[in-house]
Amino acid sequence: MFAVLLLVCVFAAGAPAFAQVDFTGEWAPRFYEDQPERVAGPELGDYLGLPITDAARMRADTWNAAIQTLPEWQCRPHSADYIWRGPSNLHIWKEVDPVTREITAFHAEWLRSVDNIYYLDGRPHPSPSAAHTWGGFATAKWEGNMLTVTVTHLKEGYVRRNGVPRSDLATVTEHWIRHGNWLTVVTIVNDPVYLSEPFIRSTDYELDEHQLVPPYPCDVVEEVDRPKGVVPSFLPDSNPSLHDFAAARNLPFEATRGGAETMYPEYRKKLAAMPKSDKK
Amino acid sequence: MRGRLLIVLIAAAALLSGIQLYAHHSFAATYFEDKQQTVEGDLVQFMFRNPHSFIHVEAKDEKGEVVRWAIEWGGGGQLGRQGVTRETLKAGDHVIIVGNPGRNPEDHRLRMIRLKRTNGEPFTWGTRPGETFD
Repeated sequence: MFAVLLLVCVFAAGAPAFAQVDFTGEWAPRFYEDQPERVAGPELGDYLGLPITDAARMRADTWNAAIQTLPEWQCRPHSADYIWRGPSNLHIWKEVDPVTREITAFHAEWLRSVDNIYYLDGRPHPSPSAAHTWGGFATAKWEGNMLTVTVTHLKEGYVRRNGVPRSDLATVTEHWIRHGNWLTVVTIVNDPVYLSEPFIRSTDYELDEHQLVPPYPCDVVEEVDRPKGVVPSFLPDSNPSLHDFAAARNLPFEATRGGAETMYPEYRKKLAAMPKSDKK
Repeated sequence: MRGRLLIVLIAAAALLSGIQLYAHHSFAATYFEDKQQTVEGDLVQFMFRNPHSFIHVEAKDEKGEVVRWAIEWGGGGQLGRQGVTRETLKAGDHVIIVGNPGRNPEDHRLRMIRLKRTNGEPFTWGTRPGETFD
């Protein structure tokens, strides 16, 4: 009996006080999902599989990629919800309470990102009027071995890099799941303005200790010579590129317009009955 | 066919290794990736920087008027690993550049595919494996 108790004590002493998986380390992105979208970039007018509202569609239709040459856009980081999808390596580190030895926060940093902090100390989210930032305000809690994160206070961002917006009223839920040397992060975006249903994506990283996130100074310059005050955009129904994606992929134009129903397998039946795009 | 195989192998190696990629904006949304255009003229400014470098070139259009072209190139870190530095090009260089035209014609913008300097010390970019950017 004494021996059994001794064994229990020995095992208990080596175990963390709480279920705390260590996410710290250097992580390399793996593009087994959505490589063309995440690296080279999406095409204009491709809203397939996005549960967007009419307002989001209008914003995307009138968006002009040349806007990113404006000074305030050139060095803009991806927001906390999109940055997982970026092609950059990821560095995660932690803060530990010196007395309880519990993890009180994780930090995540990518190339060209801000310091994204995920608080585990039980602090509340600030008032809705508090500053909105690229990283937002993020709290986290353990659900078994999974870390569940809630992000609020985000500046307006995008869910796809072809102008499909995400509003500053969105709330993002993240699930961090570690399987050995693999990290899977599921992001769920709820946006009362631009999404009619939650938008869910998963992204994978592999532990890679042979890397560091390098320095990334970004200079604002005059990238393109254009008259002062010009903000590239399209008026409604004047974007000439919206049919290109459908035509190039031989898809019905209506399908490329997105919306919640395009996320679901049942949409295939409707798709089969639609006319293909007639514009080349 | 061999060229295609090489490109596929390079892409696969990049995906599987820790190589840093720099995608910032969507090239497909910004440029006509299925079209190419050539600009020949004098380099007036070289901005070696992140997120992407830019070269400004003055060249005459079909009416004989001088137009300032903005050619987007790789970020400083990415080009640096290919041997390009901020001293590689300078104002006055006469260059021939092939690129994908931007979707805004009034911007006179290209995405760099190939560059050749025709005066001074010979320099080319975009003709050897690995001379690409994202």
